[in-house]
Amino acid sequence: MRAVQGVDLDVFPGEIHALCGENGAGKTTLASIAAGKLKASGGTVIARGVVGLVHQHFELVDRLRVWENVVLGHEPQRGATLDREAARERVNRLSKEYGLAVDPDAVIETLPVGIAQRVELLRELARDPAVLILDEPTAVLAPVEIDALFATVRALAARGTAVLIITHKLQEVVSHTSRITVMRAGKVVARLATADTNVDAIARAMVGGELPELAARRETIPAPVFSMHEISAGESSLAVRSAALEVRGGEIVGIAGVEGNGQSALADAIAGVLPYTGSMELDGTPIPPGNPGARIAQGIRAIPQDRRREALVLPWSVIDNITLGDQRRPSLRKGGTLDRPAARELARTIVERFDVRTPSLNASVSALSGGNQQKVVVGRALAHNPRLLLAYQPTRGIDVGAAALVQSRLIEARNAGVAVLLISFELDEVLALSDRVIVMYRGAIVGTFERDAIDRARIGALMAGAGLAGVAS
Amino acid sequence: MSGPLVDFVELTLVKAAPLIYAALAGVLCERAGILNIALEGQLTVGAFTGVAVAFLTGSPLLGLVAGIAAGALAGALLGIAATRFGVDQIVAGTGLNLLALGGCAFGLTVVFGQPGASSEVHSLGGRGEWILIALAFLAAIVLHFALYRTAWGLRVRACGENPKAVRSAGIDPRNVRLIATMIAGGLAGLGGVYLSLGELDLYSDGMTAGRGFIALAAVIFGRWTPFGAMGAAIGFGALAALQFTLQRSGIPSELMQALPYLAALAALTGIAGRARAPQSDGVPYTE
Repeated sequence: MRAVQGVDLDVFPGEIHALCGENGAGKTTLASIAAGKLKASGGTVIARGVVGLVHQHFELVDRLRVWENVVLGHEPQRGATLDREAARERVNRLSKEYGLAVDPDAVIETLPVGIAQRVELLRELARDPAVLILDEPTAVLAPVEIDALFATVRALAARGTAVLIITHKLQEVVSHTSRITVMRAGKVVARLATADTNVDAIARAMVGGELPELAARRETIPAPVFSMHEISAGESSLAVRSAALEVRGGEIVGIAGVEGNGQSALADAIAGVLPYTGSMELDGTPIPPGNPGARIAQGIRAIPQDRRREALVLPWSVIDNITLGDQRRPSLRKGGTLDRPAARELARTIVERFDVRTPSLNASVSALSGGNQQKVVVGRALAHNPRLLLAYQPTRGIDVGAAALVQSRLIEARNAGVAVLLISFELDEVLALSDRVIVMYRGAIVGTFERDAIDRARIGALMAGAGLAGVAS
Repeated sequence: MSGPLVDFVELTLVKAAPLIYAALAGVLCERAGILNIALEGQLTVGAFTGVAVAFLTGSPLLGLVAGIAAGALAGALLGIAATRFGVDQIVAGTGLNLLALGGCAFGLTVVFGQPGASSEVHSLGGRGEWILIALAFLAAIVLHFALYRTAWGLRVRACGENPKAVRSAGIDPRNVRLIATMIAGGLAGLGGVYLSLGELDLYSDGMTAGRGFIALAAVIFGRWTPFGAMGAAIGFGALAALQFTLQRSGIPSELMQALPYLAALAALTGIAGRARAPQSDGVPYTE
């Protein structure tokens, strides 16, 4: 199967054009072909000048300075040497011209992600591109940074640059673009004028049908389940620092934050795979540090952030993966060994309830699509009536249908009295699912909002650091 | 002028020079992202080729040139294996070390008709030796300048950190890395020539005696910088000289030989301040 097939796409000078589609629709492949980084097996690309590409995961050299990154490959020379002054000058000139303030001598790894993106943008702008492609440029940005980015993009378009933005955030598409091309399974399925469409119509085109509905939230009577105090873990910029929170049974607590603000360290500390200081309690009993197996036995289950590396053993069968972590559970043992029929029965139940599309229960999970792999992970985490469910980016990289199913199962678990801690970089997901929203910034908890008092703008500002004294937003 | 101190300093420089060449070669490779554990083999190839060509032509200078070329060729083999075939660099380097050792042992019987050691040849002489020592210091200065002050150096350093970023900038990181391994091979080859035609006037099997690995330790201890590696190489040279001086003092020489590696370990574990390898050091880049 081809990632992209028979796609035609025109982007005009001065236009901001959106390329939408679900994960795996072929958007990034198409961008790489347009920018000349990937050779198409057929067809032509015609550009009136250079095509610049700002990558989703920046392609910068972290330990080099801003100016070194910007001039790399096009270095100004003075005799045999690199002309540093001219290089700095080039950065300053571009910086001023496009209104992208950045210190040319800063080392990339010391910069916040929004500024690092400016550097990548500057590097591409230095080549004076006629076409600029931005691949999921807002995925790593806080809301305020997103506004700044679109201001820049609009200014670029006003100068006559053709801009193509790849994104799955439809609100941005509707607010900032003029035309929309929707891809599904490698093909163009819709071409829309932004003025004549809306978020729902675009989403329907992306999915190829109606959007699945989420499970209903039922009234619950929250009871204390999990609490943590003064938890610190992890290293330097990715650390979590003296965080305290409480998750009650029958509620979903959502952690909002831009990726890289300590969420990962927090999750790993709760799961017991990262050393930490501070204390945690489950049902009023202290949790001993650093033993993931004991936590599973106590009813703390996790949907890890990277299903392929942290959750599943890819070559193993569906049954074995579902057993993994619960191999000591009495219900899955007979005598001194695993009870294979019981494991098979459990796997069959999960596959049915979570609509896992698999050739068989003995098929290796590597043969499953990402969405179906994730359903196995979520099904396993919920299989034995957990007390606390830690869901880290539970819908990352899966299609809308699978995402809705996963989200519905989380809500149902909440309805049944499970304490759910949701960590997601998609603010929309956090706001849609949570009974309480906690904002994390630079490893600290900087705000808490009850569901009936959610203030999207305020949360966005806190995600960008507005809650800390001395940090400009 | 003479005396124990002057002797010690002299001996230190004599012992440090080949380590400096090999350590600079290691710095250059690793900054470009190639972990060159074949330095030992490149020293060996340089040492042998130098002697063989000096023997066949009667000219130690031609031997020197040939030794550098042979080292560069050995470096290119590693570079091609690593960049074109995506071979694991440790495996390729180990293979090249064994190949160099075996190939040179075989070459001995072909060129000199005897195993173990070559016959004596015209060496570069005492003056030649001191010129090569001075050149080692000069090489460190040149490499520092090249890495930090030229466009080429920027590309090399970028390759060692994030070759994908280099690719985005329109340059093929595989070529940058290949050229770095060749120049490094030439430097290590020169270190080998120093051993066989500078310090001595013959080649014998195993004469490099693990200097390629001590050089790797110097790279780490010197924090992947030319001057740092040079300083570490001088330090290790001083240890070797001390070992020579203290031969009759009763300190086991094996203990002294282990010191460079202990120093490298200290650098890596952070006892001597944290050292950070280039991010993509030893990570293959393929397309």
